[in-house]
Amino acid sequence: MNSVLSLSNITKFYGSIQALKEVSFDVPQGSVFGILGPNGSGKTTLLSIILDVLKANKGNFLWFGQPGSPEQRKKIGSLLETPNFYHYLSAISNLKITQSISHRGTEVAIDEVLKKVRLYERRKSKFSSYSLGMKQRLAIAAALLGDPKVLVLDEPTNGLDPVGIAEIRELIIELKNSGHTIIMASHLLDEVEKVCTHVAILKTGTLLTTGDVEEVLMDEDVVELSAADLNALATILKQLNPNVTVDSKLNTAQIIFPKGDARLDEINSFCFKNGITLNHLILKKKRLEARFFELTNN
Amino acid sequence: MTNLIKTEWLKIKKYPAFWWIMGITALSYPGINYMFLKIYENILGDKGQAAQLAKLLIGNPFSFPEAWHTVAFFSSIFVFIPAVVVIMLVTNEYSYKTYRQNIIDGWSRNQFMTAKLIDVLLISLMITILYIIIALVVGFANTNNALADKWALSYYTGLFFLQTIAQLSIAFLIGFLVRRAFIALGIFIFYFFILENVLVEWARAKANDIGRFLPIEISDRLVPRPHFMVRINKEAYDRALQAVNIHILYAIVLTTIIWLICFQINRKRDL
Repeated sequence: MNSVLSLSNITKFYGSIQALKEVSFDVPQGSVFGILGPNGSGKTTLLSIILDVLKANKGNFLWFGQPGSPEQRKKIGSLLETPNFYHYLSAISNLKITQSISHRGTEVAIDEVLKKVRLYERRKSKFSSYSLGMKQRLAIAAALLGDPKVLVLDEPTNGLDPVGIAEIRELIIELKNSGHTIIMASHLLDEVEKVCTHVAILKTGTLLTTGDVEEVLMDEDVVELSAADLNALATILKQLNPNVTVDSKLNTAQIIFPKGDARLDEINSFCFKNGITLNHLILKKKRLEARFFELTNN
Repeated sequence: MTNLIKTEWLKIKKYPAFWWIMGITALSYPGINYMFLKIYENILGDKGQAAQLAKLLIGNPFSFPEAWHTVAFFSSIFVFIPAVVVIMLVTNEYSYKTYRQNIIDGWSRNQFMTAKLIDVLLISLMITILYIIIALVVGFANTNNALADKWALSYYTGLFFLQTIAQLSIAFLIGFLVRRAFIALGIFIFYFFILENVLVEWARAKANDIGRFLPIEISDRLVPRPHFMVRINKEAYDRALQAVNIHILYAIVLTTIIWLICFQINRKRDL
């Protein structure tokens, strides 16, 4: 698969503080690429570098195999950190400036994106009169203007209410289905888990892991099971695999196997042979949240 | 280039503060000229012998061709008003973070700086057009002598334009470096009205007039004080006029350096 963006050894210092340490990864075409990390892990710094707002101290990046340039940025719809607009201008006037600089979209397209983010009714109001959520939606509208094939979205759901968050999620899925590549930074893991195809996880400037979201999440097989007598079940299971935990609140037991080693049919027949009838048996994908804590807490 | 002008125009045309301040400028320039015209008329309108003698010696500074010079001098005092606009236009880009957005949306850093240079040139042009209109009105209203050469001193238009660009560029540099509107305005106003004047006067008395190389003074000397203000000291007045040519060179060099610094810093610094 072709890479839309590839980073190699990106390093950035703020004075003596190292914000990014030799970060390298590739963003495949057509992916929804989530960049995850706790606050201060370097997500925004990384996006700022690929958009030429910050200069890397070392390393380089290529967009479509070419070094970054203004001409390439024109073709990328971007939202970086905060919605940045002229406070005294309306939504329409602000988007006219976006259009004038990027050459993306037309007058008609401006109305269309404003409708898409539900700002059309307030299109003539000054930016300074907008709520945080409206400002964020205008920033998304600016990124969508002219339907760019690549979008860079830094915390796109910042300041949005639950309905707004769901709408953005739908929008991202819709964009992905129509062949767009989306590079998205977020600390909202739930959001990322629902839409991303690929992830990169950063912690204090170091890339911990990157790849297909399934691969990153499914590094272990977690089997969840339950029976009428949970204690008896746990005792039996320990013969099979010592790695058993019991959650008495949820009334379930969990066994962890190395990736690809869990055989549900074998577990089922093993329990049955030992006189226990299961009422629940499932192979669980590890939640991104759990994985994230594992990776970032050590 | 047209794209840069078009984009800057989109930023300015619906900016109320810009039009307010330009409106204030459009009132203050004719205002100060009218005020000094009235002062002149009051003093020399006296039928007394001394006043009539003075009038004979210095002529009427508000009639052609001297009107070009006089109006340029008085108008230039108020350059700090458009300087407010220049500072606002650059500091806005930082406080709204739109500077980042302009780059993200596809301008190069040099294009951004060129667009700001265009702003300064456009504002200087507007101010110069205002000056020309006032000079013409004042000149025609006060010239009785049909033989007077109306256009003899019209080259003050060029001097005024250069002076405005030079001084607004200094305001821009301060705004660009400081990035905060009120601090930048404070620094500019304090320097423009107080600090540099003190230094220039001190240097004139004590240090071989080295103050002529201070940033504002370099271009201030493009338009010397009109004859009637230097107490009819013909020698000093002629010296000031002779120095104009070399100050054209100084002003161009200084302004070029200022913009080179802006472009250079802008290329390097994180946004």
